[in-house]
Amino acid sequence: MSDLFDTLSVLILMTAFVLMANKKVKAYIKTFRVQSALIALSAGILGVEAIMDEGRYDLMVVCVLIVVLKVIYIPGLLHKTYAGIEYRTEKDFILNIPILVLISCSLVVFTYFSFSASGFGVNGSVIDLQLVNTISVTMIGLLFMITRKKAIGQIIGFLEVENGIFITAMFSTQGMPFIVDMGIFIDMLTAVMIMGVLVFKINVTFESINTDRLNKLKG
Amino acid sequence: MNYLIYMVLQITVIIVFAPLISGVIRKIKALSQKRKGAPVFQMYYDLHKLFRKTSVVSETSSWIFKAAPYVFFSTAVTAALLVPVSTLIPQPSSLPGDFIVMVSVLALGRFFMMLAGLDTGSTFGGMGSSREALISSLIEPSILVSLFTIALITGSTSLSRILFVVNSSENQLPLQVSILIFLALLVIIIAETARIPVDDPSTHLELTMVHEAMILEYSGRHLALMEYGAAVKQLTLITLLVNILLPFDGMISQTGMMAILLSLLFYAAKVLMAAVLIALIEINCVKLKLFSIPNLAALAFILSFVAFLQFFVLGGNHV
Repeated sequence: MSDLFDTLSVLILMTAFVLMANKKVKAYIKTFRVQSALIALSAGILGVEAIMDEGRYDLMVVCVLIVVLKVIYIPGLLHKTYAGIEYRTEKDFILNIPILVLISCSLVVFTYFSFSASGFGVNGSVIDLQLVNTISVTMIGLLFMITRKKAIGQIIGFLEVENGIFITAMFSTQGMPFIVDMGIFIDMLTAVMIMGVLVFKINVTFESINTDRLNKLKG
Repeated sequence: MNYLIYMVLQITVIIVFAPLISGVIRKIKALSQKRKGAPVFQMYYDLHKLFRKTSVVSETSSWIFKAAPYVFFSTAVTAALLVPVSTLIPQPSSLPGDFIVMVSVLALGRFFMMLAGLDTGSTFGGMGSSREALISSLIEPSILVSLFTIALITGSTSLSRILFVVNSSENQLPLQVSILIFLALLVIIIAETARIPVDDPSTHLELTMVHEAMILEYSGRHLALMEYGAAVKQLTLITLLVNILLPFDGMISQTGMMAILLSLLFYAAKVLMAAVLIALIEINCVKLKLFSIPNLAALAFILSFVAFLQFFVLGGNHV
């Protein structure tokens, strides 16, 4: 079973890399959808285990919620918001993509070594691969957020960070208290909706969603 | 004796069936476009026709142009001999060469192909060569890292030894490493065999071609050797992929000729599956811009490097 979760965590890490290597908005949304589906799958497997062992149903509810919100609703919302905006491809990056991908890779290495130094997530001398991979997803999401200049990239980065934190919590605790999960979901949903509305507003007002231009507003 | 059996089987399987795989991929592509398409044996007819024709060689070209097809074909065949199609074929006890030799032999063939592209002085040839140099230098690190990861897990760089260990029940590759290396090798195969996200094999549009641009000046027997070599190289890489990552030979309980036959049948099924997969990728992708290829190559490198990390930086939970 641990092998299966290792594999799922590696696949989630891979979607983070694929996101990093992409620059098309459609591909962002599609990859995010795949990432969320993988997380829902992990939650589902953990949920089935929880039902069999302890008779808890909360993880199954969380799994269904992930499917409804992160696989169906939020990507759909992003699609709708970006249907009205003229650009389809991210053009200017702070660094070019291969270098960003290599930096993400070094982030994974950094996570491995910080785990071994801190002793957190280490059983005996064996490092918990799932935790390393999922925390790397969070780190890569942060890097994604700061290297994309357009608002869509930053929203996707935020969602990726959230995914990373969520899956880390799930793998390390085998299911958080239900109320915490619900709180996270509602927070994220509100954030995405507000961001969607704001991006739409920015686009209408300034005819661009390049966040660099907002700096001109400073006095 | 073992040596003889191994060589004969290896040559018959890879060299005889290589054009068939290209035919199958082309057929699937044609069917997806609602065309009937050429028969799957079309490449054999083409090769037969081309081998009977004389080649036209430009007056301005040097000996490299004439030597390159032979070098390219023989390097492809050499590489093919290093990748066993089945572990049940009695292996010669000391088969020389490992995957490092395989990669460098393939690189030698590619080097001569690039030189030949430059040799005639046509603009397309030079452009194709420079692009091929870019792509191959980007792809080579990932093929080496992914194969080194497998070599570290199995404890040997010799391909026949790797396949033997992978196919026996003692040391299975862990699932996540298999998946990562499978994806990495898939990208590598697509890039090395000039398939769609990287290069379009069925076009002669001057601005998009890479592989075709280099062999544009060839005709007759030389062209046949170039195309046959490319097909052999493709089947060699597919063999590497399926035999390392989809090992079935351990399940066969028979012995002797029957076992070899069964494992070759399995091998044929696996290669067919890989061909269908490659065709599906070709159908569903658009060709990347030349300057987006580094992104794909970086991704392939990361796939193999993360597989490497899973096990060897901190001695993951299996080793």
